[in-house]
Amino acid sequence: MGQQELKKEDLRSAVIAELVAQVQSGVELMVVVGDSTSTSKIAPFLEAYPDRVVNVGIAEQNLVGMAAGLSLGGYTVFTANAAPFLTTRSAEQVKNDVSYSKSNVKLLGLNAGVAYGPLASTHHAIDDISIMLGLGNIHVVAPMDAVEAREIIRWSIGFDGPAYIRMDNQAFPVIHDENYKFVPGKPDVLAEGSGTLIIGMGSVMGEAYQAVQSLKEKNIACGLVNLSSLRPLDTEALANIIKKYERVITVEEHSLHGGAGALVAKLIADKGLRVSFTALGIPEGSFSVCGSREEIRAHYGIDSRGIVKAAL
Amino acid sequence: MVNPFNLSADLIIKKAKSARLKALIMNHKAGQGHTGADLSEMDILLSLYLHIMRYDPKAPKAPGRDRFILSKGHGVGGFYACLAECGLIDEALLGTFLQFESRLPGHPVKSKLPEFVEVNTGALGHGLPIAAGLALANKKSGDPGRVFVLIGDGELAEGSNWEALMAAAKFGLDNLVVILDRNTLQLAGRTEDIMPLEPIDKKAQAFGALVKTCNGNDPSDIINAIQTAQPQKQALFLIAKTTKGYGVSFIQDKPAWHHKIPTDEELAQAVKELQ
Repeated sequence: MGQQELKKEDLRSAVIAELVAQVQSGVELMVVVGDSTSTSKIAPFLEAYPDRVVNVGIAEQNLVGMAAGLSLGGYTVFTANAAPFLTTRSAEQVKNDVSYSKSNVKLLGLNAGVAYGPLASTHHAIDDISIMLGLGNIHVVAPMDAVEAREIIRWSIGFDGPAYIRMDNQAFPVIHDENYKFVPGKPDVLAEGSGTLIIGMGSVMGEAYQAVQSLKEKNIACGLVNLSSLRPLDTEALANIIKKYERVITVEEHSLHGGAGALVAKLIADKGLRVSFTALGIPEGSFSVCGSREEIRAHYGIDSRGIVKAAL
Repeated sequence: MVNPFNLSADLIIKKAKSARLKALIMNHKAGQGHTGADLSEMDILLSLYLHIMRYDPKAPKAPGRDRFILSKGHGVGGFYACLAECGLIDEALLGTFLQFESRLPGHPVKSKLPEFVEVNTGALGHGLPIAAGLALANKKSGDPGRVFVLIGDGELAEGSNWEALMAAAKFGLDNLVVILDRNTLQLAGRTEDIMPLEPIDKKAQAFGALVKTCNGNDPSDIINAIQTAQPQKQALFLIAKTTKGYGVSFIQDKPAWHHKIPTDEELAQAVKELQ
C-alpha cells in the first residue's frame, strides 16, 4: 500500500479531541497555553471547557511554572505551545519545576522538527529530544500519526508524572489501525524484512513508510521500526530486533546529536551488535535550513527518496 | 483549618532567637550555608508557621491547607531551622545538613522532605510562577488553602516573576501572598547597585498586586500586615523590610555573610547575642 492511499489526520486535532473525551470521562485536567490557541487547535476543547484552559500569554517560563503549580493543586496538566519555545525558553522550568520535581505535567511540544519550514531556525525544534533526554525523570515520546497520538494521550494520563510529547502540525498519513496500542518502551515494528532495518521517530515515519513501500517494489524487503517511545526504551527488545539485520538506518527530523539515531547508536555499541549503521537527520552542530518542509526534508535526505537512496 | 500553634508575636520573637541559633550551629557544623538569608527570613518563616498559616502537622498534605513555597531556595537553612524550632521535624536532622544523601540538602528537595517541600527550588525566579499556578488550581477546585511564597529581592531581576505577577492579576489570585524578603543585599552587593529594584512598591502595584510594607524582622508587624490586608481579586505583595543576617551584630547587613560560615569564636559570640 502506498502513502497516497492512506487517510491523513492532524495529530493536534486528534489530541484535542482525546482531551475533550478524557474530561468527559471524569479526568480533572487543565490545559495551559501561551497565546497558542491556534497553534494547538484547541478551539473544540476551549468551547467545551473554557474554565479548563489557562492562557498565560507569550510567557513560556510562567507557562511551565504555572503548569507545575496547577499540578500541585491536583490537576493533570497539559501544556500546549510551540516546541522551540517550550523546550528552550522554559528549559529550566521544565528541568526543575516539572522533571526534577516529578510534577504531573505533560508537555506537548507542538510543531516540532522543521514543521515551521520557511519560518527558519528560531521556529525549528531540532534539539527538543536531545534536551528532554538530557533531563532526568521525564518520559519522552514522539507519536508518528494521529492514532498513536491519541493512544499516547491516554497512556500519559494514566500515570502521575512528567512527559514530553513531540507533536507535529500537519495532517500526516495514518499508518496504525484503530486497534493499535501504545506500549511504553516497546519498539513498534511496522514491517519485517531482511538485510536493512529502518528505525525512525515522529512524523518523518510517513516518509520512512513510503520508502519501505518503494523498496518493496524493487524487491528489497526492509524492516521498519517506529521508535515512538524514546524514554522509556526497552533496549533488550530493540537489540533483539536489530540482531535480525545486517544494517541499521535511523531517520529523524532532529539533530544527529542526542536524538533517536544517537540513542540507537549507543544501544548498538552497548550491546556489541555487529551491524553497519547510518544515521539520517540534521547534521550535528548545524541549524536547520529555511525552506518548505518538503524541501528541507529533501535537503537532509530524510524524505522518502533520501531514505530509499540510503538503503540501496 | 487553623494554625496549630497560634503563638503571640512576643513568643515568636523568642522562638526566632532560638531558631537563628539553630541555623548558625547547623551551618557551622556543615561548613557551608547561606547564613545571611537564613537569619534575614527567620521572622517571616516563624510568623507563617507559628501564627498565620492554617495547616495540620498530623496531616501535612491535607486538602484545604495553606501552602508555602520557598522561592529563594538558598534560604533553606533558615527553613530547616524554622521547621525544627516548630517541632515539625526532628532537631537532630539539622546535624545532617548538606551531608551525603541527607534529608536536608542545600536547596529544598521535595522527595527528601515531602511533608513540607512542595516543589524543588534553588534556581531563582521559579517559586512565584509555581505559586500562582497552585493558587489558580485552588481557585478552580474550590480549595480554601492560601499560597504563601517567599521571594528574595535579588531574585526579582528574573523576568519570570513579572510574568507571574501579570498572571496573578489576570486570574484575580487573592489567595496568593507574595512576601518579598527585602534585605537590599544579594550575592555581589547592594541590589540597588547591581540591578535597581526601586520603586518596587510602585512596580508591583502597577502589575496589579495589593502592595503592603512591613518590618520583616518584626513578627507583630508581619502578622498584622497579612491579616489586615484586603486584596480585591489580586495577589497581596508584602514588602517585608529585613536586615540580612538579622540578630547577630557582626553578621547583619554585611554582604560577605551571604554564604559565610561562623568560626568557633564567632559562633560563641553569636550564642551570647542570641541568648
